[in-house]
Amino acid sequence: MRALVIDDSRAMRRIVGTILKDFGYEVREAGDGRQALDVLQEGYVPDLCCIDWNMPVMDGLQFVFAVRANPAYRQVTLMMVTTESETGQIVKALAAGAHEYLIKPFTADALRDKLALLGLLPEGVSA
Amino acid sequence: MTTETAEPISVQPISELLDAETVQSIADEIWPTLVGDGEAFVPVPVPPPAELVSAWVDIIGPWNGSVVLTCAPATAQALTESVLMTRPPTVVDDEDVADALGELANVLGGNIKSVLPGESKLGLPQVGTAPTHGSLDDVRALVGQWRGNYLTITVQGATPAQHAERNEEKPL
Repeated sequence: MRALVIDDSRAMRRIVGTILKDFGYEVREAGDGRQALDVLQEGYVPDLCCIDWNMPVMDGLQFVFAVRANPAYRQVTLMMVTTESETGQIVKALAAGAHEYLIKPFTADALRDKLALLGLLPEGVSA
Repeated sequence: MTTETAEPISVQPISELLDAETVQSIADEIWPTLVGDGEAFVPVPVPPPAELVSAWVDIIGPWNGSVVLTCAPATAQALTESVLMTRPPTVVDDEDVADALGELANVLGGNIKSVLPGESKLGLPQVGTAPTHGSLDDVRALVGQWRGNYLTITVQGATPAQHAERNEEKPL
């Protein structure tokens, strides 16, 4: 399985990426929504995008809108991974087309639980 | 001719909006998950070091201000090594330190924003010398330590000039 981790923080990209690699994912990274769209347009279409909300250039919500507007990316699962924890923000992201929402800080177990809910836990990883 | 009345803006200082226990409980959640298993921000003050570095995020909304994390440069480096789980001989560089300290401030800021009244916007993390704050009653500071090293979490109101600048940004 392939994942794209989108966060302006290198530290957070590394944390999320390490957990996903431990689960058996192939991982690529992008520092903002624009860079992430470039990765998709290069032909790297992942099973999962983990998306921060507050980023320079293009934020996570704009990225969700852009991906959902392109039928070629219909199969990509979008999960917000963000400090934005108010109900209004969660509703906004889900309405835009995000499938799941994980609030920072989170544990590896919490991320695994979200992947299990999404049916994106690779075989061999216990739910 | 009718005059539209704007939404009332909260003028409550942060000391009335946020107590120290709430800030500590947020730190208690962040340290073990982001800094590392068994890590904690301990609210027992130790003397401040001579040199300080800060990372902060701005909150723009009914309450305007910043969430600031301040420590010694050496503590910032140790925090970064812990966040990134680096082991010798891997070393972290200045960019890593700015990034990790900024992300800690970002996660603190996002969680603190969520307990403030009204809808607010979170700025991007900044690192350097902490911004000046407004009136003293608009400050909620937790002075403490991590691994015995000085560290503070300060939630501070903006100065009148910063308020004016942020209002021009027309948040949300």
